[in-house]
Amino acid sequence: MLKMNNVSRIYRNDTIQTHALRDFSLEVESGEFVAVTGPSGSGKSTFLNVAGLLDGFDQGEYKLDGISVHGLKDNELSKLRNEKIGFIFQSYNLIPDYSIFDNVDMPLRYRGFSSAERKRRVKQALEKVGLASRANYLPSQLSGGQQQRVAIARALAGEPKILLADEPTGNLDSLMARQVMELLHKLNQEGTTIIMVTHDPDQAREVSRNIQIVDGEISDFRIYAPLQSLEIDPVQPTEASLKSNKEQEPVDA
Amino acid sequence: MLRYNLKLALQSFKRAPSLYFLVLLTLSVGVGLLSANLALVNAMAGDPIPEKSDQLFHVSLNTWPTDRPPAEPLHILRYRDAKKIFESDIPKHSAVFYASGVYARDSKSNSLQRFDSSVRATTSGFFALTNAPFAYGSGFVKNSGMEVVIGSELNNKIFAGKNSVGETLELDGELLTIVGVLKPWSLRPLFYHATEGRAFNLTDDIYAPIETAIDLGWSIHARSSSTDSNNGVKFTRDLNVFYLQAWVELPKEADVALFQNYLNNYSQSLKEVGEHPLDTRNELRDVNAWLLEQDIVDQKILAFTLASVLFLCVCVFNASSLLLSRFHSAKFEVGLRRAIGASNRHMLIQGLTESALLGIIAGFTSILLSWLFLKLSIQFLPDLANLAILEPKLLILGMLLALCTAISSALYPLYRANRYAISAELK
Repeated sequence: MLKMNNVSRIYRNDTIQTHALRDFSLEVESGEFVAVTGPSGSGKSTFLNVAGLLDGFDQGEYKLDGISVHGLKDNELSKLRNEKIGFIFQSYNLIPDYSIFDNVDMPLRYRGFSSAERKRRVKQALEKVGLASRANYLPSQLSGGQQQRVAIARALAGEPKILLADEPTGNLDSLMARQVMELLHKLNQEGTTIIMVTHDPDQAREVSRNIQIVDGEISDFRIYAPLQSLEIDPVQPTEASLKSNKEQEPVDA
Repeated sequence: MLRYNLKLALQSFKRAPSLYFLVLLTLSVGVGLLSANLALVNAMAGDPIPEKSDQLFHVSLNTWPTDRPPAEPLHILRYRDAKKIFESDIPKHSAVFYASGVYARDSKSNSLQRFDSSVRATTSGFFALTNAPFAYGSGFVKNSGMEVVIGSELNNKIFAGKNSVGETLELDGELLTIVGVLKPWSLRPLFYHATEGRAFNLTDDIYAPIETAIDLGWSIHARSSSTDSNNGVKFTRDLNVFYLQAWVELPKEADVALFQNYLNNYSQSLKEVGEHPLDTRNELRDVNAWLLEQDIVDQKILAFTLASVLFLCVCVFNASSLLLSRFHSAKFEVGLRRAIGASNRHMLIQGLTESALLGIIAGFTSILLSWLFLKLSIQFLPDLANLAILEPKLLILGMLLALCTAISSALYPLYRANRYAISAELK
């Protein structure tokens, strides 16, 4: 699905050059759930930007779904991003004055789908994240967890080959973070490949594979047991958080 | 995708209404002012009869009878020189005329109200030569006779716009029958009488046969020159009184040379019998050459138009600066759209659609402002009244100008927006 061989990314300015990625090699198979951890400034975000074709690289080779991305033109890279990659950001990155429907619809607009097809896909994506009844709401009318689920729906709407998540639970409280993680695990179990940058070691342990980046290189390579074989302690909601959750997230019919 | 881009443009306007209002106002004022000036220049420098302006020639002759001639051949002719012109069968049509004025009223009317009316005392070829548009009837056939053609405005005043052919007008006490009524007719400039600062006058109220006007003694309401004393137009036929203008229609180039030769021969024959001492120098100028010669485009208006162009450039720079700040504040959305699959081309088209929509709205506003500027110009300069008109082609030009300026204003901001790093604003 994703194959990087000796990829380097160097940022230069007038006085210094920084090796954000150094001879970085990684292969992610279809259906994997990979957690990327590492200290701040280690190159996690650079890796995710290069993997997501948001940034270029200086050396090496990168193949996404069998396609070598080196030398591709802007419109070809955009098409690849649109068709094969779904992004989930820490800050959700929803457009505040667009409805939930319009936010999820955004990537489909650049795909040339008919109106009916777009509606079908948006509805399906929102159903997957349990927010079908909120299609006409504005992001500000939803809780943080719900907003992140909308962002996940937007990433899923184009039926991508791979989801790239950059600290998807970084802005959420533990209960909402748990719900988002459960959703990601569910999607992975349904076959979606996911690469997730996280600072949370617990979340990293839950996934099928964990890599750690330090100084632009993979420093340690450990494979954890798959999620279903783990016994995860469910988060015990407090009375207050349950109440808040009830108010904010009525169950969809 | 166009509908989607239009929807995004409207959403963008809603997000920053004050900023877009400023951009709109900036562009509209710039385009409106330039359009208003172009309307004036267009009216001044336009071709009043494009279908045959290269076939109509003004005749100037050098037949001044003394040895102290005017610097240039005169644009006004004596009766006998003019007669020589309309007697020639070389031109397809010819018109010899002078300007006059009478008081007019419906002879059958009980009211004694008379209307001060401008008169063109002309030969019958005038109507075909100028392509005068008839609403009712036709031109008079002979150069004498108690018949007239009247203009639309006078027909509206006296006969409420009805078909007045066959009605009788009392003109300075004489009864003349209407044989034709013209449709509303504007010639800008009034090429057949572009001298003496009349290039932007309205067309005449009454067209009367020249011999009739002379016989009735209708006075000359234009420049005249004379070496003989005279007792009015009635007695000018055999005198050296220069007051008639002449135009000829020469569709073929060969006819132009032939007619020039005809004039030169006539002038030479006068010189040979001692009627004038000057070198033979007769001139035929087509409509546009004649208007250029008359220098009818006001240099002040041209200078102001140039200033308006520079002002529009300043407006474009200002609009561009405002849009740059707007696009800069939209970096997050640009980055997000690029991340989820929009190409640079998509973003460029989205930006251009927004600019085009802004340009169309600015186009309508600038047309309104142009109209206001022209109305204001008339308040200060009443002479511009017949010029300050927004023709359809000027409206289209205004719209295109607004569109072009709106798009040009957005080009640099769009270029900058497309160079933002995609991931810079996304966290």
